Amino acid sequence: MTGTKAGPMLEIDRVAKRYGDTVAVAEVSFNIEKGEFIALMGPSGCGKTTTLRMIAGLDTPSEGELRLWGRRINEDAPWERDAPLVWQNYALFPFLSVVKNVEFGLKQRGLPAAERRKKAMEWMERLGIAGFAERSVDQLSGGQRQRVALARALALEPDMLLLDEPLSALDPHLRVRMQSELVRLHRELGITFVCVTHSHSEAFAMADRVVIMSEGRVQQIGAPRAIYRRAANRFVAEFVGGNNLFAGKASRASSGSLRIDGPFGSALAPLPPDPAIGEGASVTLVVAADRIDIAATRTGTGNEIEARVVTMEVVGSSATVFLETAGGAELSVQRSLHQIEDTPLNPGQAVIARWSQDEGYFLPA
Amino acid sequence: MPDARSTQTRPLAAPVTSSARATRWRFAAFWGLPPLLWQFAFFVVPLGFLVAMTFWSVKSFRLTPDATLANWTFILNAGFFRNAYVYTFWLAGLTALLASVIAFPAAYTLAFRLKPATRRFLVFMLVVPFFTSYPVRIYSTQIFFSPQGIINAALHPFGLGPISVLNTPAGTVIGYLVLTLPLVVLLQTFALANVPRTLIEAAHNLGCGRLRTILTVIVPSARVGLIVAATFAFVLAFGDYVAPLYLGGSKPPTLSILIADQVKSGNHWPRASVVAVIMIATLIAVMTAMLALAYGRKGGKR
Amino acid sequence: MNAGLLRRGALLIWTALVFAFIFAPIVSTIVFSFNADRFPSLPWGGFSLQWYEAIFADASVQRGLINSLIVAGATSVLATFLGFAAAYVDYRYRFFGKMAYTALVAMPPTVPVVILGVAMLTFEGRVGLSGTLTGVTVGHVVLAAPFAMALIRMRLADLDPGIERAAWNLGATPWATMTGVVMPFCLPAILASVFLTAAVSFDEFMIAWFVSGVNETLPVRVLAMLQGQVSPRINAIGAIVFIVSMTLVVVAQILIGRRLGRRSKEA
Repeated sequence: MTGTKAGPMLEIDRVAKRYGDTVAVAEVSFNIEKGEFIALMGPSGCGKTTTLRMIAGLDTPSEGELRLWGRRINEDAPWERDAPLVWQNYALFPFLSVVKNVEFGLKQRGLPAAERRKKAMEWMERLGIAGFAERSVDQLSGGQRQRVALARALALEPDMLLLDEPLSALDPHLRVRMQSELVRLHRELGITFVCVTHSHSEAFAMADRVVIMSEGRVQQIGAPRAIYRRAANRFVAEFVGGNNLFAGKASRASSGSLRIDGPFGSALAPLPPDPAIGEGASVTLVVAADRIDIAATRTGTGNEIEARVVTMEVVGSSATVFLETAGGAELSVQRSLHQIEDTPLNPGQAVIARWSQDEGYFLPA
Repeated sequence: MPDARSTQTRPLAAPVTSSARATRWRFAAFWGLPPLLWQFAFFVVPLGFLVAMTFWSVKSFRLTPDATLANWTFILNAGFFRNAYVYTFWLAGLTALLASVIAFPAAYTLAFRLKPATRRFLVFMLVVPFFTSYPVRIYSTQIFFSPQGIINAALHPFGLGPISVLNTPAGTVIGYLVLTLPLVVLLQTFALANVPRTLIEAAHNLGCGRLRTILTVIVPSARVGLIVAATFAFVLAFGDYVAPLYLGGSKPPTLSILIADQVKSGNHWPRASVVAVIMIATLIAVMTAMLALAYGRKGGKR
Repeated sequence: MNAGLLRRGALLIWTALVFAFIFAPIVSTIVFSFNADRFPSLPWGGFSLQWYEAIFADASVQRGLINSLIVAGATSVLATFLGFAAAYVDYRYRFFGKMAYTALVAMPPTVPVVILGVAMLTFEGRVGLSGTLTGVTVGHVVLAAPFAMALIRMRLADLDPGIERAAWNLGATPWATMTGVVMPFCLPAILASVFLTAAVSFDEFMIAWFVSGVNETLPVRVLAMLQGQVSPRINAIGAIVFIVSMTLVVVAQILIGRRLGRRSKEA
């Protein structure tokens, strides 16, 4: 870790990974900045774990280049890299005690026994597992093992920590706690966290930036809020959830806006710069479920769709109302309970779904 | 069996009657008893009989039931027995060590460096020797190492040799390796293939190089399998009769040669039994010690 | 990169040498069984079937082969039955002393054959079995049953424990369930075990050497011939034993393999 540290910390430049005929990563390019919490997210088989493994040096790219502070690291052996990984199933050494597990990496660096014990104990203290130091790892619960795995990686005091589905093996209530603990650790340590997850709620809750992948390619990179507000394509719009996707044909409305007609009815939205979206094209209109209002009668402002209530799910203080239009299109509306307490929402009830024209945006079909 | 048919037609809702219970017991006994009785009658009883016979005496070439310790005192005090015991134990131990060391790189290659299809094929190949007449393999080995044999013919152009291992302890060890190496490679391969891949990757990820990973992660993870393989090598070599006779020239004799000699020519079965019982006791002790080594002393307090 | 290639090459060469050590005796047996020269050495003396002719003309070898086949046939049936029974009991029942029960059945292969041989000889001498083919078979069943048990137990591990209860629920007695459900399910393993135990018996020489007396089996004949002078006839016998055993093992392997193939198709 010497030399200039200007520019991105890690550059992933047109990297691909193939196993025989199987393509794990088709082509991926993005940068990781020093100190950020970046999440690689996507459905299983999207290439996110392979990308992480290539960063750790456990897989070698078939094509492309990985550069750490500008230096090519493709051929660096995994043990020459400084990017400890927290494994999905922890990969603790069952034949070593907890503290020996935490010391393992320090021992490889040739730290004297007393020093590495001290350092290991500090990290275990910090993660609240110091009391288990002499235990065997198979006596620990899942949450405790997770902490051992974290301590083992962090004891190396790396500049970059890799996490592979760190929360997936935990109970739901532990998951939420660990999630905020990871965020806190990241903030306190100021090092780079690269986290692979298939859960958009985890990624959006923890990361500064999210890389959404599908079929071995990057679909969108950005801050969680930005991705949520404007998906780059249909895949992202569907994958992040909470969006209504309306299919239809585009026609001219006025300068700066476009009209779409489909089974859901018709609506207006701003005309995007994308040349593929214009008059006569098949398009998709995306409207976030929490941007749609629900009312008993028309007001004549914004987009208004007539629909019937199918059902309603209430979680805590918010409700999701599922509607169906006369044309057979489905739409979901997310509201707080107090926003809809005056609207009768029995199944079969006719209602109006309304949203402002600026809230929707077009994507190619 | 006719009883079975009658229970089949009973109403399904009927409570478990005594006849149903009897059927179940008869059924369980039909399957449970034959293996028990057979192994008891033809395994436990002969071995028990062997122990009993150590206290018998031979009077004018006739076996006579007795309760004498004469056979034990004779064998335990016999210099030839003590020498044979130390020699056999040492050679079997050496074989276990050599076989383990020689097999390890091959097992490592099979487990980690070859394609699954190649590995499956080679593993199947390793089973082949078990079903190839062992005496014939020893005969072949004898030919290989004979003074005019292939090994010496191959060494001659290089100005080496002739080497003569036949009728020496080295010859016996070579024979023991012919016997044990396939099994040791096989067991080590299974042990290594079962080491979780992520543990190896985790070690690499934490800065552990290839050779160190073998010593600090792979060997401890596969410890049980590696020790079991060495134990089997010891047990097989310790009891083998063919290699020390035909390759070692029974000079000096091993324990199994002593047994065979006492039985076939000396006709002193009680003394042979004493040797056999001591061998079994030794093997039990060795296996217990090895199992303790394999499963004991784990990381951390349990 | 070069160091990696070197390391890989060294490992492959070492592995090749280990396999060469293991297989050289087997290969040379077969090769030299066709060698015209009396003393097996290089160069080869030319192709010849004379050693095969010699052993087929040898009445003691013929007798040995027939005895071996009789013993192997009887052993395979008995050992497979006992192995199946023990495997089923281990699969089906929980009872006090079960560990001791399975250990008793599984133990014999861990006892050196030379000791099993002496024990068999002293015991069978008393009950009048020594020197008979029955005596040899009894010893071979003791030795081979554990292999049958292991093979069939592995198959039973794939049988849903609830399936027997389902059969009873449909009105099948334990006997009907056994013949209609459990045995058909285990059939590949049972057949494989018949071949495998036959091969174990066919190659066993130590128990047979102690017990067989004048009724020598083929491996015992080989041992006797080894004590004599170098004779390529041993190679010819070795080759025949090899062919017979390997046929049995390959058939067993195919039966096990077919089961795996079928399972993967079901998945």
